[in-house]
Formats: sequence, structure tokens, C-alpha cells
Amino acid sequence: MSGMILVPEFKGLMANRNVLGTLVRRDLRVRYARSVLGYLWSVLDPLAMSLIYFLVFTLIFKARHVGNEPYFLHLLTGLLVWQWFSLCMTETSRALLQESRLVKSTNLPRELWVVRVVLAKGVEFVLSLPILVIFVAIYVIRGEAHLNWTLVYFPVGMVLTFILATGVGLILAPITVLVTDMARVVRIGLRMGFYATPIIYSVQSAPESIRRFLIFNPMSGIMELFRSGFFESELGRRAVVISIVLSVLVFIVGTAVFKRFEAPVLKEI
Amino acid sequence: MKPVIEVKDLGIEFYRGKKRRMSLREMILQGRNTAPKDTFWALRHVTFDVRPGDAVGIIGSNGGGKSTLLRMIAGVLIPDEGSVRVRGDVAPLIELTGGFLGELTARENVYLAAGLHGLTQADISARYDEIVDFAGSQVKASMEMPFRHFSSGMQVRLAFSLITTLDKPIVLVDEVLAVGDRSFREQCYVRMEKMLSGGKTLFLVSHSEGDLRRFAQRGLYVREGRLVADGPIEDVISEYNDYSDEHQ
Repeated sequence: MSGMILVPEFKGLMANRNVLGTLVRRDLRVRYARSVLGYLWSVLDPLAMSLIYFLVFTLIFKARHVGNEPYFLHLLTGLLVWQWFSLCMTETSRALLQESRLVKSTNLPRELWVVRVVLAKGVEFVLSLPILVIFVAIYVIRGEAHLNWTLVYFPVGMVLTFILATGVGLILAPITVLVTDMARVVRIGLRMGFYATPIIYSVQSAPESIRRFLIFNPMSGIMELFRSGFFESELGRRAVVISIVLSVLVFIVGTAVFKRFEAPVLKEI
Repeated sequence: MKPVIEVKDLGIEFYRGKKRRMSLREMILQGRNTAPKDTFWALRHVTFDVRPGDAVGIIGSNGGGKSTLLRMIAGVLIPDEGSVRVRGDVAPLIELTGGFLGELTARENVYLAAGLHGLTQADISARYDEIVDFAGSQVKASMEMPFRHFSSGMQVRLAFSLITTLDKPIVLVDEVLAVGDRSFREQCYVRMEKMLSGGKTLFLVSHSEGDLRRFAQRGLYVREGRLVADGPIEDVISEYNDYSDEHQ
């Protein structure tokens, strides 16, 4: 059944990969058109937040036992990934409304408007990686961190983030058109999601009673994939398997939801 | 020859209020949904074919469903009943500046907007001069300026030039000919005629009898969501005028 939904969509996207490339370039060009500040913002935000959480949890709450060492690296990885995911959520939910003039004047597979946001944000994520590389290098040189072969899971985490964010985006985009206060719900959801995701802590540091639920957050396993190259203890197989299954499931559901609401959405925008 | 546009028993239903917008807060807190529920058929039971090279003009009063019909042929609205089948690529002259972004320069916009219509970078480079030349010297001199600094006339000129250079076999036009000053309008007319004589299929929505007579041989008269006449453009225009005179 799932193949029946996904195959035509995938074909449509492949046939329009030039257009997809154009849209992603357009997004990036708009973002970086005015100044280098555009680039600085996308790295300054996670850097500043990492610093703040680091100060709060190690200097103010002196009794920190959560997260991996070096904690700053733990925070930075988590926040960079979270920034990609959460920007995708806020922007995919607006994707069809914001581009309504284009959606109304070009006959492209409408899923494109969601995929292009996730891709553009993904490119911004990749462009922000040099910051992570710099800090990893500093910690490795100082002997406070070392790299594992599981670093190869980093790109796997990226693929999974892409699948999950696209799936959720395909659900949010049409619903935000039809339901006025959806954008607000997304904002609240993201704020809660931030604490329900192992960003400032790690799954292992949560008590068993909470860990049981935590691994059903698909972002938990994804975070572990991203971090396992720097922190050996990070890779919990169950969490990873669950997040793969859930991401694919969300993606399939998203495709179906998007198809279901496509016609009414086009009448509304 | 197979028809390039095949419309069969087409129907689309809209909510009467402009926005259907539901509110989660309302649905959860009050347990009901006050969004409007009464609907109407903007178009229903519409059936016709368009053969390659046909020039078809759509005539009818405001709110009669003309633009809705055009949008369904363009594929930017999905019918609730029946089907639309279009064989071949479409150049939609609907929201002309839809693909343009104010922050970027006009040159960047040409590449991006043409890319959205499926042209590769090489295609665009090859046609770039043609696009800019047609848009006029004023536009040509400002291609490195941000698009938002263009006057609305210049914006439309560049967009019209771009979309008519796409060279697609089917051209859909939604009353965009009413834009620009007189000399540019004449230029647009000449280009449209050239496209038509090159064997393209034209589907034109217009209020201007002059435009309809000039470009269309066949007329479709849409009234209150129904297709009430389909024939030579002169006959359809006079039927429209007769009906309008009677019901004033």
C-alpha cells in the first residue's frame, strides 16, 4: 500500500529536481543576499544557546550529572540539529501560504514546496558544520574528546532528519492552510519538544521511568546517531531502530495526509 | 489528432464564505466549528475539447467561473467532479510576477523564475538576451537592480517577456493583456499573434471583446458555472451581449 502512495510522488519530485534545485538556491540566495550576517545568524544562534546552557547548567546548577563530556560539544551538536529540525517545522507549516502566489501560478507537484524547505534548511545545517568541526578539533587536541568510527552515522542522522522533517512538514503545511491557529500550536509544540528531546541532556542520563517514553521520540535516536561519533556511550540501538521506524511511518502518513488535503488547500490559498 | 485539452463533466465546489478557515481553539473549547459550511458549484457539468492550434476565448460575467476554469486547466486547482486532461506543456500567463522575489536582482529573478518553469540554466542563458530585449531598454538597463525597485509596469513587462519566451505549446492567458502602456500592449499583441501563427494553442480569458475577436476563433460562454455556448467567437459574443442586455 505504502508504495502506492510514495512512488508517484517520488517520480514527480525526480522529474522536477531542476526546479527543486532552483528553489533551494533561491532560498539560500535570499537568506544570504543581504550580508554575511545571514550566515553568521545561522551559527550564532546555536553557539550562543550552547554557551548559555553551558553556563547555566555547569556554573549555576553546579550539580550537573547529565549529558556527555565535553558538555559544550554535547550541547552544540544537539542545538545545531534541533535548529535544523525546528526551523523546518515553523517554515514548512507556512510553506504553502507564504508561497501562495507561486503555488497558484505553477503546476508543480505540491510536495515540492515542503521538500524544498527541508532541503534548504539542510544545506544551512551543512554550512554551519565548520563551527562544529572547529570545536571538535579543539577538544580533540586538548585530549578531552576523541573520535569513534561511529562518526559514519552522522550522515545517517541527516538522512533520517530529512525524512522525519519532510513527513511532519507534509502534515503541517496543508493543515495550517485550513486551520487558522495551527501556527501557534506548532510554536507551543516545538517549545515542549525541545525539552522532550535529548538536547541539553542525553537519553542515558534520564531515569528509567522517563527513558521508556523518551525513546519513542524519533528525535532521540536521531540525536544519538549524530552524537555517537563523539560520545561512545551515545548509541542506543533500540532508540535508533525506533526512530528509523517512526520516521518512515511519519513520512508515509505525511504523504497520505498531504494528498488528502491537496484539493481543499488549493481552493483556500 | 488528439485534443490537447480534454475537459469532461468538470465540476468544482467552493465554500460560500471567502475563507473556510477553521480554528482549533474553537473546535476544542466550544466543541463546534463555526466556519461556513454552505457551498456552491463554481462550475459544473462542463465538457469540451480543444484541438492543437485552436484559439479559444472564454467569455462571461464576473464570478461566472471563467478564471476557475482556466486555473483547473493550468492544474493549480483540482476538480471535485469530472476531469481535465492536458497534453503538452503549459505556459500560464496567470500570476505573471508570481515567481519573482523583490530582494533579488532582476537578472537573478529571470534565472529563478525560468527555472521554475522547467528551463535549465543553459536554456535560460541562451534566451536571456531575447527576454531582456523584448522587455524594453528601461528594463534592460536595470537588470542588476533589486526587482522591488522596478515600477509595476517594468515588472510585468519582464515577466510577460519571460513567460512568452518559454515556448510551450499551450498558452493560458488570464486578462493580463490589460497591463502596461499602449506601446507595450501593442508589442504584446504582436508577440501573441506570432505565437498563434506558430501553431500554439491559446486559451484566453478576457472581458475585452476587442482582444477576444483579435485572438480567438472559437468562443466558450460560461454563465453561472455552466457552459452555455460553444461556437465561432462572433456568435458567442453576440449571444453574451444579448443575454446581458436582457438581464440588465
